[in-house]
Amino acid sequence: MIPRLGALTQDTLWCFSQVKGTIEIGATEADIISTVEFNHTGELLATGDKGGRVVIFQREQESKNQVHRRGEYNVYSTFQSHEPEFDYLKSLEIEEKINKIRWLPQQNAAYFLLSTNDKTVKLWKVSERDKRPEGYNLKDEEGRLRDPATITTLRVPVLRPMDLMVEATPRRVFANAHTYHINSISVNSDYETYMSADDLRINLWNFEITNQSFNIVDIKPANMEELTEVITAAEFHPHHCNTFVYSSSKGTIRLCDMRASALCDRHTKFFEEPEDPSNRSFFSEIISSISDVKFSHSGRYIMTRDYLTVKVWDLNMENRPIETYQVHDYLRSKLCSLYENDCIFDKFECVWNGSDSVIMTGSYNNFFRMFDRNTKRDVTLEASRENSKPRAILKPRKVCVGGKRRKDEISVDSLDFSKKILHTAWHPSENIIAVAATNNLYIFQDKVN
Amino acid sequence: MVGGLKRKHSDLEEEEEDEKWAWGPAGLRSYQQALLRISLDKVQRSLGPRAPSLRRHVLIHNTLQQLQAALCLTPAPALPPEPLFLGEEDFSLSATIGSILRELETSMDETEPSQNPGAPPGSQNEVLPQPDPVFLEALSSRYLGDSGLDDFFLDIDTSTVEKEPALAPAEPPHNLFCAPGSWEWNELDHIMEIILGS
Repeated sequence: MIPRLGALTQDTLWCFSQVKGTIEIGATEADIISTVEFNHTGELLATGDKGGRVVIFQREQESKNQVHRRGEYNVYSTFQSHEPEFDYLKSLEIEEKINKIRWLPQQNAAYFLLSTNDKTVKLWKVSERDKRPEGYNLKDEEGRLRDPATITTLRVPVLRPMDLMVEATPRRVFANAHTYHINSISVNSDYETYMSADDLRINLWNFEITNQSFNIVDIKPANMEELTEVITAAEFHPHHCNTFVYSSSKGTIRLCDMRASALCDRHTKFFEEPEDPSNRSFFSEIISSISDVKFSHSGRYIMTRDYLTVKVWDLNMENRPIETYQVHDYLRSKLCSLYENDCIFDKFECVWNGSDSVIMTGSYNNFFRMFDRNTKRDVTLEASRENSKPRAILKPRKVCVGGKRRKDEISVDSLDFSKKILHTAWHPSENIIAVAATNNLYIFQDKVN
Repeated sequence: MVGGLKRKHSDLEEEEEDEKWAWGPAGLRSYQQALLRISLDKVQRSLGPRAPSLRRHVLIHNTLQQLQAALCLTPAPALPPEPLFLGEEDFSLSATIGSILRELETSMDETEPSQNPGAPPGSQNEVLPQPDPVFLEALSSRYLGDSGLDDFFLDIDTSTVEKEPALAPAEPPHNLFCAPGSWEWNELDHIMEIILGS
């Protein structure tokens, strides 16, 4: 369902809907949410955390009695996807943190998703069981085997209803294919293959085959001392199964066509914006490093996020983006401090709304930003417990960059850099967004009239 | 200044002239040295039990290379020429960081099987280098010759960097760095002690 045109041309009013997760006292580092993703219908919302757990929320059916309350998301399934490992040969810990979750399109009653940590991708099947077979011949009701000699009659087992149980089972484990840290996974539009990208290589997998993968991009230099650039994100085109893009730490995007050659080291298109000499500093390269790349739903555009901006590129124009949005330009004068405290290396993600008309990304102080591509208006909102009354309308926030601070503004020096919104998700067809703020998941919806 | 109005580059520079912080060659050099120290700290800290983030490492490496180039180009302040506190004029930062990357490659070598569950941890014949000694060995072999440690500090003017940490440094010109307000020579001494193994 495409949102009403009216909701897009006027400023959308966003309301608090739900918040999931513990209030800070009980939070541990393992609870920090590291990825958020709606499935293709928006019925399910998955989160992964630093502790290797996946939590899936399901939207409840909308009730005719409560028209003003749109379907809420409730916990549907929780499972431990990845465990911490220790590589004895290299004396290195392998973190269990879930870097990415990607849903497969639904093809039957079960749901499938891919989850990955730094080294291993897993395919999980999430299915419901609401019936139980009873009346086995060879087993008794507790499951113990019966002595065949005692069986005198045969019966047909029947299915009897039981309490709904949602179970998650690992169906495939794609391991041992990445020397470096996996930063992206992307399901291909053929629904038969997917890719996983680490710092230097991208591999193509078939869902059915776990013991081999094809290497399609390799940027590792022969001499590691010459390494100056790494892969930061990768994604398949939403419709063309032969096309994908990957971004780099130098602010470039390469579009590759797998039909051109087996190893896509030579790109088909190369997107890079010339550097602005007046903004040059020692931090120029670091802040140009792209932290996320996303195709629009239409497949015509790509969006990239670097440290200070979000850019929209037309696939047909490689020499510069068609749109650039400043996320938090007031940080430009603070880059040295942000380098010192490592914040400059934070990897923010960005998302499109269902109609590709609005883009969203996170910032610090639990702020997140939305940019309307048509009206050119933008808004800063905050995910906080103070704004957590049901259906409370979120008030736009403003950062004061100098001079006199207005009453409801916050000054740059008061921003809390430990509260960062790195991961957000937008429902595929409705104005529902999920915003991960450390260990809490906020769900906001547009105001229903 | 009206809040929210975009400041031009020239406005920034005009304002900086009124500030207390001196942005002459000595100040610029101090900032660059401070940034150098911060960067090397980061490299050292990133070598821990977890495999380091290659992206972060490469970005810091590239920044260090730019710093090296800038420090060579920046005219020395009006002092007797002294070697940088970390080495001789011909030291190669990139070679050092490059050696760290090489060590990283060794530790992440994909020709080795990724799992060896049969062998208990203590029985590995091939002792993988611990991060700190590798870094320090590379540092010491590249940076230090036979020159005495004391010679490094005799002539260096520390007045620009011995500031109270509480002071908020002024806004630097656009192509310079923030103030090394928190840099203390005690930390530098400590680093040198580690390097020399004393």
